[in-house]
Amino acid sequence: MLKQLRQRLQALQKPAGIEDGAGVLPLGIAAIDEALGGGLARGALHEIAAASEAHLAAATGLALGLAALPRTNNTVIPGRPPKPEGRRRTNPESIIPAAEYGFRVRGLTPASRNDGENAERGEGIVWLAEDMALSESGAPYGPGLDAFGLAPERLLTVCAARPRDLLWAMEEALRCRVVGAVIGEWRHGVIDMVALRRLSLAAAESGALALLLRASPADDASPAATRWIVGAAPHDCLAAQLVRNRRGPVSSWILEWSDSDERFLLATHAQPVAAPALDRPHRKVA
Amino acid sequence: MLSLWLRRLSTDRIERSRDSFLSLPPPGRDEALVVYGKRGNAELLVAVDEAAERLGLSTGLALAQARAMHPAVEAIAEDAEADAELLEKIADWCLRYTPLVAIDAPDGLLLDITSCAHLYGGEEALAADLAGRLERAGFAFSIAIAGTIGAAHAAAHCGEPDRYGCGEECELLAPLPLAALRLPADTVAALARVGLKRIGDIVDLPRSPLTARFGADLLRQLDRALGAEHEPLNPRLPVAPYVAEQRFAEPIAREEDVLAIIVRLAARLQFALERRGDGARRLELTLFRTDGDVRRIAAGTSRPLRDPSQIRALFVERLTALADELDPGFGFDMARLSVLVAEPAPPEQIGIGGGEDAADMDRLVDRLSARLDARRVRRLIAQDSHIPEIAAVSVPAQMTGTDPGWPVYRHYAAAAEPAPRPLRLLARPEPIEAVAEVPDGPPLRFRWRRALHEVIAAEGPERIEGAWWREHGGPARDYFRVEDKAGLRFWLFRAGLYRDLAPGASAPTWFLHGTFA
Repeated sequence: MLKQLRQRLQALQKPAGIEDGAGVLPLGIAAIDEALGGGLARGALHEIAAASEAHLAAATGLALGLAALPRTNNTVIPGRPPKPEGRRRTNPESIIPAAEYGFRVRGLTPASRNDGENAERGEGIVWLAEDMALSESGAPYGPGLDAFGLAPERLLTVCAARPRDLLWAMEEALRCRVVGAVIGEWRHGVIDMVALRRLSLAAAESGALALLLRASPADDASPAATRWIVGAAPHDCLAAQLVRNRRGPVSSWILEWSDSDERFLLATHAQPVAAPALDRPHRKVA
Repeated sequence: MLSLWLRRLSTDRIERSRDSFLSLPPPGRDEALVVYGKRGNAELLVAVDEAAERLGLSTGLALAQARAMHPAVEAIAEDAEADAELLEKIADWCLRYTPLVAIDAPDGLLLDITSCAHLYGGEEALAADLAGRLERAGFAFSIAIAGTIGAAHAAAHCGEPDRYGCGEECELLAPLPLAALRLPADTVAALARVGLKRIGDIVDLPRSPLTARFGADLLRQLDRALGAEHEPLNPRLPVAPYVAEQRFAEPIAREEDVLAIIVRLAARLQFALERRGDGARRLELTLFRTDGDVRRIAAGTSRPLRDPSQIRALFVERLTALADELDPGFGFDMARLSVLVAEPAPPEQIGIGGGEDAADMDRLVDRLSARLDARRVRRLIAQDSHIPEIAAVSVPAQMTGTDPGWPVYRHYAAAAEPAPRPLRLLARPEPIEAVAEVPDGPPLRFRWRRALHEVIAAEGPERIEGAWWREHGGPARDYFRVEDKAGLRFWLFRAGLYRDLAPGASAPTWFLHGTFA
């Protein structure tokens, strides 16, 4: 009896945002995965801020890249030829089976059900923003998303008139079984800490990825598992700075999106400036 | 057919607005009220109240003359819009009797009460109920029920308002003046000149000379009133294919009660929908307040719906979205749930395959649409166009068809390998000030939203022709993908080519259309 109570108490005391239950999504980059403790934690809130408003597109890129991280290995996207490793596109006629045109694609591609634990979450991605945000910094553009490796039919865009509605809709989307990732675009102002905690809990409950995309960095307290500051870097790269990490050290990387692999690669060749001082508490100073 | 004529709509409206604190009819006023408006070049009386009528004033009298006769009379300018608005409200309220309500401008209503009257215990009882409520609301009115629109209108406006069965039209109409047939004033005057004043005078006359002299309209109106020709009623609101309603002995006001009623009504609809294999795509809840106000709440769905609990969930969101607007006042005494749009829905199969996922997503779409507005919840679809902003658009998710067009787009993209497309596209291209090294080349630097960007790398041009087959299809665009010093990447275009420029015309303008990650 006492043991049971103790266990329950322990479960209740567990801080939100760093539950292990939902698992992680590996980015496929050893350095980042190691810092994140295996990969980006699912069922948690992550904050991605643009270095300044001009860099919002770069932050959008990272958010979409993380939202599109593969959950299943054999996702079928109708009409798209499976891309061979390392090659861009080959003769499409020889690859597309004609039968795929009859594929029903209302809303979502049905998630494959044979992949054990990963299959329980769906493929849907919900992008939420305030009314003005999408017209001011641009709405997600289908062909661009498609080239980015994110099938546009997976995306649902939602506008809210008030910040309160936005947070409500984010929570609602997180609780939906078939939604894999929720991206909330937040332009200005402070977010209610209670609302953030609710989001974090909703994500933990459902195992979905909650991403908060901010137009400028904020340093207020937050229950987020990780916090990133993202800027554009020359040569089609992103400068991603991990400024808060509940599971490990913080660091920064230059990433490059690879169209052919549909994932981020580490770009070591393009350091624009001196690398920022790294916080490496786990390493001894030589 | 029931014709309702509110013969003092304007003056009743003004008097009601003064007595808005009391729902009792205004007590007998000694001061008379008239409403005047401009007809042609003269200011004439267009409405008079009861007291003014007793003083001998009537509509059509010149305002100056009326003032000369009775200087104490209060005269107010007409407000046709407010009158029309009030009439709409009364029409809304009459929906409690029948869904087929038409406005008989400027101050009447037509109600098709065929097969509705028995719900109130017959036509007399219905008319008495209507009369009682109008009297309490302080309106002067006359009600007539007859077989045709024309006869009911004539009886309400000119004759003895009462109830007339089908086939009695001839006797009813014969003694009435010809104006009762809704004829233009000059036709009535022309008929009067030849001694034809009553409807009975023309019923038995040979038809062809009448048509030749007074036009086909005269006999058509006569035929319609007599029932020889069918006159369709033009209802204000489309008639819902499925309707369920409930009247309450005791008015309800709490939200839980309203939701419970929705479930009860939805359960009744479910039965009817299932029998015909339909599902609801658009629902409307109509709540009738005891004081005559009517609330309408609509909700859309993204797939045909029959399940009462899902219908309830939709209205929970709608009610939350307008929590402060749903003011029950003294309570609602009647509720109606109508399916405005129904679509065939195959019988549901549960538990097999991926259909559940799509259903889950649709439920999310419905909840978000109900709370935030259907236009705010969108999906992206691909269209068959080469113009970037038309090639992919976002449409309300509840209206998306089964094919969003992306498989076809991917097939095209795999074959044509188009140049890179931005991740975010601006709602409309924004003009920028750009300086290019060579006329046809990419810009060296440009200013967008007051910030200067130095271009260090550029890719392009990708030429996208305008819609040349249309007159105003827009100029051809040369798109460039540029990167500035900070690493920001933009999608720019020059609208118009130098080769197309007319001599002396200004240089083509540059626009920024999107941003890359």
